[in-house]
Amino acid sequence: MTLLTSLAIGILFAAGIYQILRRNVIRAAIGLVLISNAINLFLFSTGAYNGQAAAYSTAAAQISDPLPQALVLTAIVISMGGFAFVLSLLYVISTRYKTSDGDEVKGLKN
Amino acid sequence: MQDFTLAIPLLLLGIGTLTALAFSRSGWTASRLGWILFLFPLSSFLLILFAFSTTIPSGKALTFSIPWIPSLGLNFSLYLDGLSALFALLITGIGTLVVIYAGQYFSDDASAWRFHAYILLFMLAMLGLVLAGDLIVLFLFWEGTSISSFLLIAYKFKDEAARKGAFKSLFITGGGGIAMLAGFLFIMSVTGSADFKTVLASGDLLRASPLYAVLFTLVAFGAFTKSAQFPAHIWLPEAMTAPTPASAFLHSATMVKAGVYLLTRLNPALGGTDTWFWTLSIVGLTTMLVGAYLGFKQNDLKPLLAYSTISQLGVLVALIGQDTEIAFKALVISILAHALYKSALFMSAGIIDHETGTRDLRKLGGLRKQMPLMFGIMGVAALSMAGLPPLFGFLAKETLLASATHPSLPPIVDTLFPLTTVLAGALILAQAGLAVWGVFLGKPADEKHPPHGHDPNFAFWLAPAIPALLSLLIGLTPVEPQFLVHFLAEAAKAAYGDKVKISLALWTGINVPLILSIVAVTLGALLFWQRGRIRPLMTNFLPHLTVNALFDGTVSGLDSLSRTATRLQGGRLRVYLRIILLAAMGLVVLFNGFPVRLSIPSLTWNFEGLNGLRMFSLVMLTASAVVSTVIRRDLYAVIALGITGLGVAVWMALEPSPDVALVQLMVDILSTVILILSLSLIPRKLRDRANELLHSRRGMLRDALLAGLAGLVVAGLAFTALNTRPRESVVSPFYAENAKPLTGAKDIVGAIVVDFRGADTLMEILVFSLAGLGIYTLLHYATRKSTDHTHEEPEKQLKPNSPRGVFSLPTSPMLHTLAYIMLPLAFMLGVTHMMYGHDQPGDGFTAGVIISLAIAQWYMLFGYYETRRKLAWLNRNNMIAAGLTLALLNALGGAAFGGGFFAPVDYGKMFGLPLPPGFYLTNSFLFEMSIALSVMGAATLILDNLGHPREEDLEADAELAALEEKQ
Repeated sequence: MTLLTSLAIGILFAAGIYQILRRNVIRAAIGLVLISNAINLFLFSTGAYNGQAAAYSTAAAQISDPLPQALVLTAIVISMGGFAFVLSLLYVISTRYKTSDGDEVKGLKN
Repeated sequence: MQDFTLAIPLLLLGIGTLTALAFSRSGWTASRLGWILFLFPLSSFLLILFAFSTTIPSGKALTFSIPWIPSLGLNFSLYLDGLSALFALLITGIGTLVVIYAGQYFSDDASAWRFHAYILLFMLAMLGLVLAGDLIVLFLFWEGTSISSFLLIAYKFKDEAARKGAFKSLFITGGGGIAMLAGFLFIMSVTGSADFKTVLASGDLLRASPLYAVLFTLVAFGAFTKSAQFPAHIWLPEAMTAPTPASAFLHSATMVKAGVYLLTRLNPALGGTDTWFWTLSIVGLTTMLVGAYLGFKQNDLKPLLAYSTISQLGVLVALIGQDTEIAFKALVISILAHALYKSALFMSAGIIDHETGTRDLRKLGGLRKQMPLMFGIMGVAALSMAGLPPLFGFLAKETLLASATHPSLPPIVDTLFPLTTVLAGALILAQAGLAVWGVFLGKPADEKHPPHGHDPNFAFWLAPAIPALLSLLIGLTPVEPQFLVHFLAEAAKAAYGDKVKISLALWTGINVPLILSIVAVTLGALLFWQRGRIRPLMTNFLPHLTVNALFDGTVSGLDSLSRTATRLQGGRLRVYLRIILLAAMGLVVLFNGFPVRLSIPSLTWNFEGLNGLRMFSLVMLTASAVVSTVIRRDLYAVIALGITGLGVAVWMALEPSPDVALVQLMVDILSTVILILSLSLIPRKLRDRANELLHSRRGMLRDALLAGLAGLVVAGLAFTALNTRPRESVVSPFYAENAKPLTGAKDIVGAIVVDFRGADTLMEILVFSLAGLGIYTLLHYATRKSTDHTHEEPEKQLKPNSPRGVFSLPTSPMLHTLAYIMLPLAFMLGVTHMMYGHDQPGDGFTAGVIISLAIAQWYMLFGYYETRRKLAWLNRNNMIAAGLTLALLNALGGAAFGGGFFAPVDYGKMFGLPLPPGFYLTNSFLFEMSIALSVMGAATLILDNLGHPREEDLEADAELAALEEKQ
């Protein structure tokens, strides 16, 4: 299962990177979400236990590791905030530069 | 014992700086301001004098220390012994005069409060430097002097020369300061403490340390740059672009003496070695001669004085290098004598410049009748500088010559030291002659335009008159002033480490120093007499060979290097990205990131239990990710992206981890909604163009290869990490065991988020709220210019009867009804999550996102205006504010009732409230509520801004209206 998880993470990451590398700024935003999904998936999978039950103190079986879960919980919400900010940048690009081509955004130089 | 009298002078100067700032808008003239502000340095002077006089009977240093960074063992400590007192009294004493003088210098200028603020700030830093009782505190104030002197030199910032001079001085002294800090850290590593008492007592340890050469070099480098030693002396003449009051203060008595102070202070700890002796002697003597030589070439009064200062600083450094009693006697006398005559000369130069409009010796001349008083003041000071009897400067030169001819000097030095001293002395004497003759006695080069000027008013000439008079009195007085003798002896003792006998008698009989002095005076007079022949020769001798060329070359070289480096960055982000990616992958391979060999045979394929479902979720998320990449239309790509997120949520639910899965599910949906809303903002044309770009063949293979490579590296890394991860957690068992007893929560993940790591979560909701506010700012201000016409009054555009959803499409009334029902349901669900989230899946985030989703539905279905109109009570800014405030109050509540920031408190139990079973009114619940509030607020803010209609919607509206009319 570890191999498959790693492969899935790799594929998500590759798909995200590919979209970011293209000139299309809308896809770059989508790529960003894919990458953060890949990272969350990775962090989530680093739990130490093979959990049989959810992490409740009343659980009878071996619980899943709560620590990476708590971290990922935070990461998910923060990456959504970042993603929304990127989207507003997209809008700024489309109105300011009248383009959706990443290569035409030259404002950084001035 | 704590001696607060040490800290008060610093506080006073700090208050003085603030007072100067407070007068910034008063419109008061500089002279009025000067008459108020001089009280601060004056009272500091008196306090230090008092503090020092209390140490005279016991001979013990005063100390003051408060803990600063206890975890590093650092204290903010101050220390006052004879040496610090000598410098501190010079700083505050001359500082008092300079503040009054600056008031007169800027006279009617109402913007000179800036100067007063800077100079008091500088005084504070300088006083702190000499009172510091700890290496790190000393460094702190040392940097303070660099920065405040930068402000002073660049005071006339519209003048390019001033900016360049300020930059050069900051560059050189700042660089030296960093080296010095490194040296201090080495000293601390050897002695184990930064405190002076320890450092000064561990001289033997330091000298024997293998690090001695390194730490000595670093500290000496810092001191040499600050005290303008050759070849770092080049900043001082250029710093003369500062207003004259600043030059009189910084470049005579204070800042340039900081390096001298540091070396003197550390002499008991670092001095006495051959390295110390040779380095300080060679550098000092070279500087002495170079300064004197270059000074004789100058025509401008201020640079002339600056070069003689450099020469004098060389003298002081050379003296510190000696290990004889007489050298330290000469040192303290020279410091005092130089400070007195040089500040008088600088201030006089400023007055002449102020009254006649020039400082150029070629234009000045014959002013003795117009300015008799200034002639007297400057004449006395110049005689002291020349080292002629009966002035204090004579005594300084005599003791200097006495230490230069001390029998304990090794060969070579025993000839070089007297020789350079005589030569430099002669040159300095000639310069003193140049200054006085050029201003008051000789004739101006252009006789048709003689300079005009008259003696200034009392307050203006008083400032230079006091130090000049002191130079005269100390020399003339028949009885030795006991306090001064004792004071200088204490200072010399602190520097030398042993008792030093001081006498201030001018006449010591006919001896070697006296004969050498006569030689120097004769030679100086000869130089002055033949100045018309010698100076042109000097000017023509290697005019281009200066250290400045080296400095300028280095700076412009660095400049062009950075320009070349910048040219690599063409502004194409995708190129940067490629470089970053390749570099990151290179690093992984370089540092051998794959220690685990892929051992395929040992893998067991196990589809029992949940593994089949896990496989399904992985296939689902990878397939949809690939689809979102290759599919042409962006809207479908967004939906495929949403499915990827669902796949991740399923994977999480199978862990099993219901809390995270729930949040992932909600966030995924909300993200998709926001993405669709923002897509609707981008004009159709641009979106079509973007879709073309995704599938253009150019660079497709390259990008695919690069992405594939990155994916492989990441997969490999993940595989290695997951395979080698520890299967036993150190932290989690603690959380698992203590969640219920400590926080009362069954849900361990929830307990970690809101209790164990509550501060983390507080930061998180802050970040999320800031993202919302950032979007608001960006869309409202950054795009205002291009979308001005769409930001008309919303009321005019309101069309309540035709609610328009996303993409300006009309939406079905059935969906509207659904939205009406969903919102209260979502609120109920959210509140339930918050109430019971502690024992069951769900928490504040989930609640916030669920309610946000219901609101998002409104934006999707009704459009912006209709939603704003119907949900007017939804004030997102207040919600964010309320959420964050509640979170903070809650944490403080924990501090008040639970014994710590974020400590759990059960308010329900505390007040005995009747609550439904399973629900506890704890501060965790309140925290969940604040999380939900701020998430809701920020999410609404995001929806609001991304859902705001733009041009296209208005066009669509118009088209629709036209259609309706036709029918």
